[in-house]
Amino acid sequence: MSAIVTTYRPADLAELRDALTESARAGQRLAVAGTGTAQWGGLVDADAVVDTTAMTGLISYNPTDMTVAVRAGTRLADLQEVLAEHRQWVALDPARATAEGGTVGGIVATADAGPSRHQFGGSRDSVIGMTVVLADGTVARSGGHVIKNVAGYDLAKLFHGCLGTLGVVAEVVLRVHPRPAATATLAVACPAREAFTLGGRLIAESLEPAAVEWTCTRPRGPGLAQRAEAAREQRDGTLLVRFDGTTNGVADRLRRARALAGEHAAEGTPEHWQKAGRLAVGAPGDTVLRLGTAPDQVAQLVMDVDRLAATHAVDAAMTSTLFAGVHTVRLRDAPAAAHAAVVESLRMAHSAATVCRWAPDLRNELAPWGDPPPAVSLLRAVKRRFDPDDRLCPGRFAPWF
Amino acid sequence: MVIFRIVEMTSRAVGTSWPAELAAVLGPDSVITDPARLRTYECDGLTGYRVVPAAVALPRSTEEVAAAVGVCARHGISFVARGAGTGLSGGALPVADGIVISLQRLRRILHVDPVNLRAVVEPGVTNLDISRAAASHGLYYAPDPSSQQVCTIGGNVAENSGGAHCLKYGFTVNHVLAAEVVLADGTVTTLGGQSQHLPGFDLLGAFVGSEGTLGIVTQVTVRLLAKPAQVRTMVADFATVAAAGDAVTAIVAAGIVPAAVEMLDNLAIQAVGASTRSVYTADTAAALVVELDGPPDDVAELFDDVQRICRDQGSTKIMVAADAEERALIWQGRKAAFAAVGRISPNYFVQDGVVPRGRLAEVLGRIAAMADEAGIRVANVFHAGDGNLHPLVLYSEADGEHDRAERLSTEIAELCVELGGSLSGEHGIGADKACSMPRMFGEDDLATMLRLREAFDPAGLCNPGKVFPTPRLCGERPGPYRPHPLETAGVIERL
Repeated sequence: MSAIVTTYRPADLAELRDALTESARAGQRLAVAGTGTAQWGGLVDADAVVDTTAMTGLISYNPTDMTVAVRAGTRLADLQEVLAEHRQWVALDPARATAEGGTVGGIVATADAGPSRHQFGGSRDSVIGMTVVLADGTVARSGGHVIKNVAGYDLAKLFHGCLGTLGVVAEVVLRVHPRPAATATLAVACPAREAFTLGGRLIAESLEPAAVEWTCTRPRGPGLAQRAEAAREQRDGTLLVRFDGTTNGVADRLRRARALAGEHAAEGTPEHWQKAGRLAVGAPGDTVLRLGTAPDQVAQLVMDVDRLAATHAVDAAMTSTLFAGVHTVRLRDAPAAAHAAVVESLRMAHSAATVCRWAPDLRNELAPWGDPPPAVSLLRAVKRRFDPDDRLCPGRFAPWF
Repeated sequence: MVIFRIVEMTSRAVGTSWPAELAAVLGPDSVITDPARLRTYECDGLTGYRVVPAAVALPRSTEEVAAAVGVCARHGISFVARGAGTGLSGGALPVADGIVISLQRLRRILHVDPVNLRAVVEPGVTNLDISRAAASHGLYYAPDPSSQQVCTIGGNVAENSGGAHCLKYGFTVNHVLAAEVVLADGTVTTLGGQSQHLPGFDLLGAFVGSEGTLGIVTQVTVRLLAKPAQVRTMVADFATVAAAGDAVTAIVAAGIVPAAVEMLDNLAIQAVGASTRSVYTADTAAALVVELDGPPDDVAELFDDVQRICRDQGSTKIMVAADAEERALIWQGRKAAFAAVGRISPNYFVQDGVVPRGRLAEVLGRIAAMADEAGIRVANVFHAGDGNLHPLVLYSEADGEHDRAERLSTEIAELCVELGGSLSGEHGIGADKACSMPRMFGEDDLATMLRLREAFDPAGLCNPGKVFPTPRLCGERPGPYRPHPLETAGVIERL
């Protein structure tokens, strides 16, 4: 790993283009960083870093059009604050946006999202236009400022989850949604299997939940293997169902959902969601793993996590966006080798896995990625066309490319 | 009807043995080479462009699609995928000396999974049949292009089709979880997956809406939604188109997201009235169709709000659909509007531009002025909620109005770009608007998009000549609607 000697800190698109052109001339390998809230995937071996945190601010915002254009280094939380003045929001709530100040560009590049992805999808579904700068300094726009638009390829999708390997996101146009007049949460103490069944019922009853999250913050620590079954009996975990809408509508739906949920239901609080968010972000020393499965695999995954946590004496907690099939597992309080063993086993069973936070020394124990997705040759081909000299974030997707 | 016949647009040096090879891998009954039968495939829903392909392949499975594409790859033959052929931008226009690969025989619904809220289908399944298959579980597939009874999900994936309910529910790309695709080299891969979390960048999202230029989809996993508990629909009349546009803005400003907001102007209403049991007021200047769906209490409250807003904005009459039958009549009129226009005008062009919603009234005013100046009638029937215009430019071929109408139609699309919008909201660029792309995107933008194309299809065999302007079709400096160099050179002719 070479030492980083140069930091570019452009303030706008033109400066970013100049920085990338200059770095191309110098043949530098580049890392890209926003507020540094995510070090997903492999470690980057770079000569210089492009720091996007000076590229901030709104470029245009017309509330009646319900779209907003921002520079990529703008913190999502700051953007939400501006939109809130007009009773609007970008329908993205990844925990790190509020907890750690994640930037719009960083959240797009990591494909991060929070519980609201149940209704609104991820950032891929909110981004309607994007301006990027490629490794050679080429500035490319795609999409636009209107919600409905099929002209040309949607390059923004490519940058969703690219972890900085295809180019640097300079500007992002997002669609915004009205803030609901009312919102309420149903909290039901129950294990994952029940949560999935109940969530499915609420959906089938057309109660239109905005978020359906199952979260379990109980440390599944040493000695808990024997008690795992008992713990499930004790209604281990909490189903959180959020309803957004009109005041009467939300009250009515909460009442009906509560009736369906039975005796273990209560009205949830913001603290419920904050706990799930803290879990998803983790803390220094933790390992955080994000996994994708078919939604109905959640109970199996919970069993796997329970078993592995017990076997390797790791505290494990998890939160699942049930019907998006997205799960975040936090590992805590054990040597890196134990974290590595848990991640390895989970990767074998569920290949769509990303390590979002690395415990100290974990990188010595664990490859950045598990088995590649079926279309890995296409990922490589796209990378070659966008960054033929492999100068952008080299190592991020190692060993896939 | 004016037809561009492309006489000399060969895809590549063509060998002699490939038709035999195609017949060998697919079986002779799956390959069409008879010139009379090939004519069926010479155009899609954009009938002004016609090219007869060298052959049509009718594979029955993913393996057969891959085999057909493999033959093309080995021989350097261009291929164009085709579903139901309802596209309105010439996206399925064949390439002369190339083949058309029809997906009509891949029409099985493989799996409806009510637990995971999804369905796995083959590309030839129609949009509406997915919802029909899911109906017994109380589920449906949300995107609903007007052609949903006939258009296929494969075509919807290629075009990122929308429909009337995009405002609340989004487009095809928001509802496709995974796609099995045959790439231009004949290999098969899967994009997307079982979950919203997938390591690596979003190739599926880039593939959806690529208009058949990145590969052929052979299997699609779509999301299914629970049917809303309540649907309420109204038609609100307005004295001017501008007032109707302002009402749309006011509804949205109130924080209401209707399932659909559609506008018809008087000319469109006249057309609809002439052809169906019309529920629209014959002499109103404009009508808004507003539909809300969702949980009953929410819908009831917001539906009242929408009516109040419409009245505040000067609505002259509000008709609320009393039951499902009346709602169906409202939608029947709206969805049949394009075809109905054929009854008030011998010929017409359909435009598909988009403007930021806040500029609706402005763009409609300018279109009216442009139409007056050109002496051409323009009917407007469109998705007002998301600013997606469908001006219908009415003209008479027999009276020699074609060129004037085509120019006006192009000017309207380009006006949308000028106002900060887009050339196309849902019909696609295809062959129709490729030459207008430089109005919306710079050279570097288009070159960057082409990097993606080259990554998927380095040989350029997959639906060539679509989406991107080429010197061959648009002139050396691609720009919209210059005199056609191929035409002047006698390479293409007007029929």
